[in-house]
Amino acid sequence: MSAEENPAAEPAPVIDVQGDGRWMSQHNRFVQECKDAEPDVLFVGDSMVQLMQQYEVWREVFSPLHALNFGIGGDTTCNVLWRLQNGELENIRPRVVVLWVGTNNHEHTADQVAGGILAIAQLVLSRLPRSKIIVLGLLPRGEFPNPLREKNAAVNNLLRASLPQLGPVQFIDVGGSFVHSDGAISSRDMFDFLHLTASAYRTISTTLHELLLQMLEEMPQERRASLV
Amino acid sequence: MSEDANPAATPSPCQDIQGDGRWMSLHNRFVSDSKGKEPDVLFVGDSLVQLLHEFEVWRKLFSPLHALNFGVGGDATQHVLWRLVNGELDHISPKVVVLWVGTNNHGHTPEQICGGIMAIINVIHQKLPHAHTLVLGLLPRGKSPNPLRERNASVNALVQAEVASLSHVSFLDMDPGFILSDGSIAHQDMKQQQYSPSDVDNRSFTC
Repeated sequence: MSAEENPAAEPAPVIDVQGDGRWMSQHNRFVQECKDAEPDVLFVGDSMVQLMQQYEVWREVFSPLHALNFGIGGDTTCNVLWRLQNGELENIRPRVVVLWVGTNNHEHTADQVAGGILAIAQLVLSRLPRSKIIVLGLLPRGEFPNPLREKNAAVNNLLRASLPQLGPVQFIDVGGSFVHSDGAISSRDMFDFLHLTASAYRTISTTLHELLLQMLEEMPQERRASLV
Repeated sequence: MSEDANPAATPSPCQDIQGDGRWMSLHNRFVSDSKGKEPDVLFVGDSLVQLLHEFEVWRKLFSPLHALNFGVGGDATQHVLWRLVNGELDHISPKVVVLWVGTNNHGHTPEQICGGIMAIINVIHQKLPHAHTLVLGLLPRGKSPNPLRERNASVNALVQAEVASLSHVSFLDMDPGFILSDGSIAHQDMKQQQYSPSDVDNRSFTC
């Protein structure tokens, strides 16, 4: 599905409807961080990514990996695509990019959302040919079974099938433990049945951290190579 | 200003546009929470209240006060009003209600937002005649000076004036100095420069 056919793969900034220009402020800050920092890991996405940095687990587990966090709450695949095309991949060479976005694409079908995520992965690989990518599956949401859970699961199934074809891209689904046998999600895991609590982030971070360590260890550091 | 004229003071539930019913799930949970618990302090409002519950500062400072948290991200005054009119105050008798809402009232004037906040204060007083309400001032938002900062400052001035004569209400200015001398707000103080005060600055909100 080309960008012309898929609205979820069309880069688009967030329009400042509220009047305080916060989205652009954040984007500009991230572009500046690309000039100042040398991350080994780049996290990019929506509030799933952004909120992670507010909890202790970020400092304990991901900061030590020299990670940058470019998450913005509310972002769709279109917004992330725009940000990455407009400076947020400049001047940095992260060895791994962690991508988590798609749950806010309310106007798009599961096919379109998966296509949008693929488009982002393709963009990253073209700009950072030596990087690897981890794509996190969309989490279930809502207290009880509902159409968005089905949609997010459908996106995940599409990603599972199509991402490996891109090359150094791994898909992981960390949402398995959140839906109980009665179909309910607990507010102890998602305080508003969408966003994760501190303890839920700890749970998913274990898997993510292990995979990151594995990937970082597999790759020769660029710095070492340049000294030879 | 009558309730009919002021959308910010007309109780309205949030419409489930996204399709997962989360707003109503939260409301229902708050109602059932209120049947089982006996809080001395009730926090009610938008994401600024809701997020407070997720950080260490809640366990350290507010849990020991037997506090309940009825914050819902994105709520404007009319949504909080609806929730309080529809069960969230029916089974509890807190001594203090902490109210923090208004920054999400997009499209409303400062007068309308103040009217919405006053409507909430009146409902609280009707349902909990012995409770004291602590209204928290709206925070500045956005990286640089902008119309929303002016709007929020106007709301604060209006509310402060209206509650001055009410013995059961107090107003508290929550801004410890977020705005720097060049007019900017640092992202370390506010992620997204509005609705997610970073963990560090949750500690400065100790009433």
